[in-house]
Amino acid sequence: MAELNDIALVTQVAVFHNKRAFDQLVRKYQSPVRRFFLNQTLGDEQLSDDLAQETFIKAYLNITKFRGLSSFSTWLMRIAYNVFYDDVRARKQTEDVDTSISALRQSASAGDSNLKMDIYAALALLKPDERTCITLQLIDGYPIDQISKITGVPENTVKSHLRRGKEKMTIYLKQNGYDR
Amino acid sequence: MVMTDKDNILIDDFFEGRNDLADLFKQAAQQQIEDNGFTERVMHNLPETKTDTVRRLSRLWSLFCILVGVGLFFAFNGWQVLQGLFYGGLRMLLGWIEVFALTAPTTEIDINLWVVLLLVGFVLIFLPYQTYRKLSATL
Repeated sequence: MAELNDIALVTQVAVFHNKRAFDQLVRKYQSPVRRFFLNQTLGDEQLSDDLAQETFIKAYLNITKFRGLSSFSTWLMRIAYNVFYDDVRARKQTEDVDTSISALRQSASAGDSNLKMDIYAALALLKPDERTCITLQLIDGYPIDQISKITGVPENTVKSHLRRGKEKMTIYLKQNGYDR
Repeated sequence: MVMTDKDNILIDDFFEGRNDLADLFKQAAQQQIEDNGFTERVMHNLPETKTDTVRRLSRLWSLFCILVGVGLFFAFNGWQVLQGLFYGGLRMLLGWIEVFALTAPTTEIDINLWVVLLLVGFVLIFLPYQTYRKLSATL
């Protein structure tokens, strides 16, 4: 039913350029999209909101290209993923790590729990691809085939990213006293 | 370093076995971010597409045509023309009614009830429904 509703709204936007329908889509998906960016940027709210806004603008401009082969949310997350990687490429890898660390410090001052801080620190150690796969699976709850559609990489590569990411996180967390 | 199956199992055990870790990820998954004016900002920053430009130009053209039409109406004494058309039409209608009244008693008119119902249905149901659909889609 939700899918049908999404398709009806997308049709309204694509055919009749109905901005109210697009407003409803933004309202519905702002939370998962912004949460995705918050996880990728390790809590940088300003950057996350900027990237989320860019994602919705790109979705609006390219809405006629949505063919309904996957769900609207998967299509939107694919745009979000591309927007994030364009940003990563633009900032270059070193600057990205610096930003992550400063974001991490901001989170620490906001009074998060130690475990949450340690998870963010562990996520900061991962490569962007690994972090995306890990957060999409563990936080956003996407299955591997959906992650593959969103990121545009084969399922086996997604599995490798997940495996390597989890391995790095496990080593870090165990070193920081989370060994059972 | 090559990962063995045993290593993989240990990693899965670690992620699935620690309740605090699982709870944290579950909590993060359920987190709903408040809109706080985000949607308004996005809608405000939407760029104008080619279609938007065409629609805007089309509206401006319609407005221009209406203004020209109103100007010509007054320039060429539109009221008199309308009055002439109205009285001419009225005279024609009265003439037709007169002819009908005189000839009706002797003329047999075959009226199909289904055709009448179909026409009434078309005018009273189908046309308003189509108008409503198009208006609700546009607005």
